[in-house]
Amino acid sequence: MKRAVRVGAGEGLVITANRLLDGAIVWLSADHTWQTAIQRAEVLVPEAVVERIEGVQSRAQADGVVGIYEIAVRPEVGGPVPVTMRERIRAFGPTVHPQFAYEQQEGAGA
Amino acid sequence: MTTAIGQYQYDQVDRDFLAARIEEFSEQVARRLDGSLTEDEFKPLRLMNGLYLQLHAYMLRVAVPYGTLNAAQVRAFADVARRYDRGYGHFTTRQNIQFNWIRLEDTPDILRLLADVDMHALQTSGNCIRNVTSDEFAGAAADELVDPRVHAEILRQWSTLHPEFTFLPRKFKIAISGSPNDRVAARFHDIGVIARPGDDGRVVFQIFVGGGLGRTPIVGQELYDSVPEERLLATLEAIIRVYNAHGRRDNIYKARIKILVQALGIAAYREEVEAELAQMDIARYRLSPEMVASIEARFAAPDLQVPAGAADILAEQRARDWVFDRWVRSNTHAHRSEGHIIAVVSLKTPGEIPGDVTADQLDRLAGLSERFAYGELRTTHLQNVVFGHVRQDQLYDLWRGLVEVGLGAPNVGLIGDIVACPGLDYCALANARSIPIAQKLGARFADMTLQEQIGALQINISGCINACGHHHAGHIGLLGVDKRGEEFFQMTLGGRADDQAAVGKILGPALPEDDTVDAIARIVDRYLQERSGKESFLETLKRVGEAPFKEAAYDTV
Amino acid sequence: MTLFNLGAREAGQYAEPVTLADLAEQGEACSVVLESGDDVAALKPYLNRLELVVLRFPIFRDGRGFTQARELREYLRYSGEIRVEGHVLPDQADFLKRCGVESVVLPEGSDVGRWERQLKRYSVSFQRSVLPEKALDVGTRVAR
Ligand code: HEM
Ligand code: SF4
Repeated sequence: MKRAVRVGAGEGLVITANRLLDGAIVWLSADHTWQTAIQRAEVLVPEAVVERIEGVQSRAQADGVVGIYEIAVRPEVGGPVPVTMRERIRAFGPTVHPQFAYEQQEGAGA
Repeated sequence: MTTAIGQYQYDQVDRDFLAARIEEFSEQVARRLDGSLTEDEFKPLRLMNGLYLQLHAYMLRVAVPYGTLNAAQVRAFADVARRYDRGYGHFTTRQNIQFNWIRLEDTPDILRLLADVDMHALQTSGNCIRNVTSDEFAGAAADELVDPRVHAEILRQWSTLHPEFTFLPRKFKIAISGSPNDRVAARFHDIGVIARPGDDGRVVFQIFVGGGLGRTPIVGQELYDSVPEERLLATLEAIIRVYNAHGRRDNIYKARIKILVQALGIAAYREEVEAELAQMDIARYRLSPEMVASIEARFAAPDLQVPAGAADILAEQRARDWVFDRWVRSNTHAHRSEGHIIAVVSLKTPGEIPGDVTADQLDRLAGLSERFAYGELRTTHLQNVVFGHVRQDQLYDLWRGLVEVGLGAPNVGLIGDIVACPGLDYCALANARSIPIAQKLGARFADMTLQEQIGALQINISGCINACGHHHAGHIGLLGVDKRGEEFFQMTLGGRADDQAAVGKILGPALPEDDTVDAIARIVDRYLQERSGKESFLETLKRVGEAPFKEAAYDTV
Repeated sequence: MTLFNLGAREAGQYAEPVTLADLAEQGEACSVVLESGDDVAALKPYLNRLELVVLRFPIFRDGRGFTQARELREYLRYSGEIRVEGHVLPDQADFLKRCGVESVVLPEGSDVGRWERQLKRYSVSFQRSVLPEKALDVGTRVAR
């Protein structure tokens, strides 16, 4: 769902979507592939986002993703951390079933 | 398979139909995957099969028509939970069950697995006539006048792939009850139907229209006091035809029938319906006694035999075991037949997720229903499960079987019996998480003695204005709002969903999660101070007004 | 553009349909196109000369056309052709047919096979429609 994204000082943007086949959350990496770990997401400056989204939007069917949009993140040591609770839940899993948390190691590819 | 108690028995025609419907859906999935359907085109088609795309995965909502299940169906849910989900199912406030971790690819297989036990996900979402809900005590309650499930089944069939009403302005929800004590929230539905016996022995129906929660909570208004059975379908067709032609399609928040009923006024809406009826070919819509009888014949009734002295055995066991006795006080309801009792299983174990069940618990519920409840169980709009017909001398064993799997919480109708939507942990539309605050409240009031002392108090929590947790109808309602990325909760007091249905009033500014829990604790303390005699929370609220509670809620903030 | 027949009757050839507003002025017009917001009751004075009513679907989700078609058949007893144009999906073929629509205007390159398949999919329905379908002995079922 599209929400207005405000980017605060020190924050960047990453692009996200759901995978068509299983609905899993994916993040756009620097090599323009979709990855399941937010650590692999490329952090963009706002000016770069529109063009990048247009690019992936046109390949969405071939890439098997739906609902592409951008979210604000704070770059942190372990990787980008979304600013809003909603996106933190998307990135790290539901807060109420700890056993369903997403694994955080590098390299969990799509 | 032997004829199931309390639900319509499928025949080969029904099974062939379901198989064809699943085939249709698998083709739609294939067309989506190969790109011949766009997401915008596919979405309404998958929604009509109960498939949502949520935060983390697809969510499949399976229909439980009028809330009645048999043991094999519950085992099939356990199977789906294990094989295709993460070991859980989630009962909703519309008597359905949801699976939160589903893959699109797997859905046709899941639907086939469910079809093997005569279950489907048809019309559990989308802008069509949704799964019809009914009274969880149907056919069992001492206060019932008409068993509403036969007519609920007729409505289910009539609304299935309805050619005219599958692309309505918005979703359309119908509930039907046969008891003067409304347990289906009839006045909070697009159409609420209350059945009662008419003078000629046939059933007549009181019909409410235009109720609903969501962004604009409205209590439904009576359109007709007594529609004869023969005219039931004609009347519903006319009501929905007016809505389909004139309901707003420009703004999804104004698209429900309630907005149209408000805009026209109930009298003018009735005139519109009359104008349709006057032109309709009424014979075509006639619901004849033969049609009703042919459906009724597919429902088996339990043979309610009880050994002499069943009631005495129960009384003795209650006297011997005070924990059991407490559970009986809160979790049972009078049965129409002597020696039987209705048992409600709370899915609100303190600290757990309201409405969640594990696959193992589902299996246990299925087994217990076979041993103690004629193989039948029901889901409730308060996210609990009901065994409709239990012999009083077997209640103790049933209860022990529940306790063993952590389903013995003695809190039905009490403050711990919290209704909550999935909220931000799962739902793509949410503003705030509903489950953690429900868990915190459950833990805060976990003391069962305190709960009994507080008495009837219903808390409802929704993670956003769509009101899936019915917060407006809760005695205390909580609505999650987003304040600059922070989760806040707005409190309402005085809502109720019964025959005196009312929309709760907003108490004051929204508070953060922990402050909300504290505020509710203070509201409850204040109620215990203010209450006179055995007054319920709602009665005290009515007598003293909201001021003392407002003062208590915002006391230290 | 392809004309697809939902039922037995072949789609006819008619002059370009006029709008509801123009129908009064153009005394000889025998075909009309309705937008989804139009009220079919407005066609009453012209029924004796109408041979084709085209219902335009702005988007497949706008289901008003289904009610328009049923009203034409059931309330106005209109027996001429009802045709649908605009954005409709093959998944809707059976719904259209059972509301009284007889033909659909499909864009070039449409998969006609999908429309045919959808019409044959079900051997039973669960409510009466404007078609002469045979009632079965259980509930509201009809044979297809
Ligand atoms: C997580 C996935 C869910 C989504 C995306 C969702 C979405 C929605 C939306 C958008 C509405 C408002 C529609 C309108 O007013 O026109 C709504 C209403 C409703 N939902 Fe959900 N819902 C979800 C889960 C649930 C669950 C788990 C329950 C039961 C606990 C539920 C029960 C209801 C009910 C009863 C209403 C009707 C309120 C009314 O009468 O307006 N939903 N839902
Ligand atoms: S109330 Fe809102 S947050 Fe809760 S399930 Fe419904 S749409 Fe989602």
